[in-house]
Amino acid sequence: MPASPTARTRVHRHPERGDYDLTTVHRVLDEALTCTVAWVDEEGQPRALPTIQARIDDTLYLHGSRGARAWKAVAAGAELCVVATVIDELVLARTSPHHSMNYRSAVVYGRAREVTDRDELYAVAAAITRHVLPGREDDAIVPGDDDWRETLIVAMPIDEASAKVRTGPPVDDAEVLDADVWAGTLPLRTVAGSPTPAPDLKGGIPEPPYLQEFRRP
Amino acid sequence: MTDQAPSARTRVRRLPELGVYERERVTAIVDEALYCHLAWIGPDGDPRVIPTIHARVGDTLYVHGSAASSMLRNVKTGLPVAIAITIVDGIRFARSMFEHSMNYRTVVVYGTAEEVTDAAELDGVFDAITDHVAPGRAAEARRPSPDELRQTTFIKVPLDEASAKVSEGFPEEPAEDVALPVWAGILPLRTTTGEPESDPLNVPGLQVPGYVTGWRRPGTSG
Repeated sequence: MPASPTARTRVHRHPERGDYDLTTVHRVLDEALTCTVAWVDEEGQPRALPTIQARIDDTLYLHGSRGARAWKAVAAGAELCVVATVIDELVLARTSPHHSMNYRSAVVYGRAREVTDRDELYAVAAAITRHVLPGREDDAIVPGDDDWRETLIVAMPIDEASAKVRTGPPVDDAEVLDADVWAGTLPLRTVAGSPTPAPDLKGGIPEPPYLQEFRRP
Repeated sequence: MTDQAPSARTRVRRLPELGVYERERVTAIVDEALYCHLAWIGPDGDPRVIPTIHARVGDTLYVHGSAASSMLRNVKTGLPVAIAITIVDGIRFARSMFEHSMNYRTVVVYGTAEEVTDAAELDGVFDAITDHVAPGRAAEARRPSPDELRQTTFIKVPLDEASAKVSEGFPEEPAEDVALPVWAGILPLRTTTGEPESDPLNVPGLQVPGYVTGWRRPGTSG
């Protein structure tokens, strides 16, 4: 479902990398473990906070601290810009300015509303848990109502959004292709090591199989 | 090096016990992170944020800023920016869904960005950025031409209003949750490499350099 680019979602630098298909945006938001939310504070200064996100259909949910002044501004409806990034490969060109990365990023613009509906809050808690590692949401103990006193969940529609994607080998100018410099791509991925049980883990609890399933990208 | 006193913006309010203001901690995170998220204010006063590449030289953070360059040219006093850097070290599994978290290290830098215009400084920035991505690469890659230097915008921000937030360790849960039959612990995460793919246009006989096959982030064991 392609979205029409708006003035701010249109990709100007390397327009060939722009992808306005919201399914691409969704995939990046799902695959990136974290995102950064940016807004303009009451003093007119840009602010940026890393946080964790989850997506349910066309809604992006962000998780913050109820006690933090920064999150109050977000919940109060400040204009937001959220970015999530997945790095797939390093791109090593023969010349230093042509070095790049193969990456996928998604930017979402809009305002958020605080989630207060109890059912929605519980659905978001499960979605965030699933976002990090699918399978865990069926295992972990669901939150009690008291837990929501400190945590803020905000929701923002994913409608004014775009993705930017680079793929492929390095692009060097023709006159340097005979240079004696290796060029190519180096794939990167995030992998899990061996799980370490908590020191206070009760005996007889097996390691859940989904711990072996972590893959990104 | 002296510790930086937290300013109002960089004070970590959420979990104050995680606040670390030591400059070394900030610089280690900045150096290890492959990329950053650069935020600034767009032409209509709205927030903008994009992923971009950075490198640190001493107490200065250089950021590839071509996307912000149109705003940069409209301001005489520099462009206020916020730069967020995130490294996820592991997933922290608690018994309770709510106590799940990540072990992470983040840095947020606030400041006023200026365009790098001095040719010699710009030349050095290309080296720093190239070596930030793949240490050892700058010595091998062809240097930028004067035209290429002009075509690329780098901005610089002093690393003096910055804070790190570090979350590490195991979940801490009340006894009644510890008693539950749910696995808890840490799943450590790290960035690894796959097989390098040589550009089909490479001149014959070029070997994949050691800094590619042995690539790892600074401060990590790979």
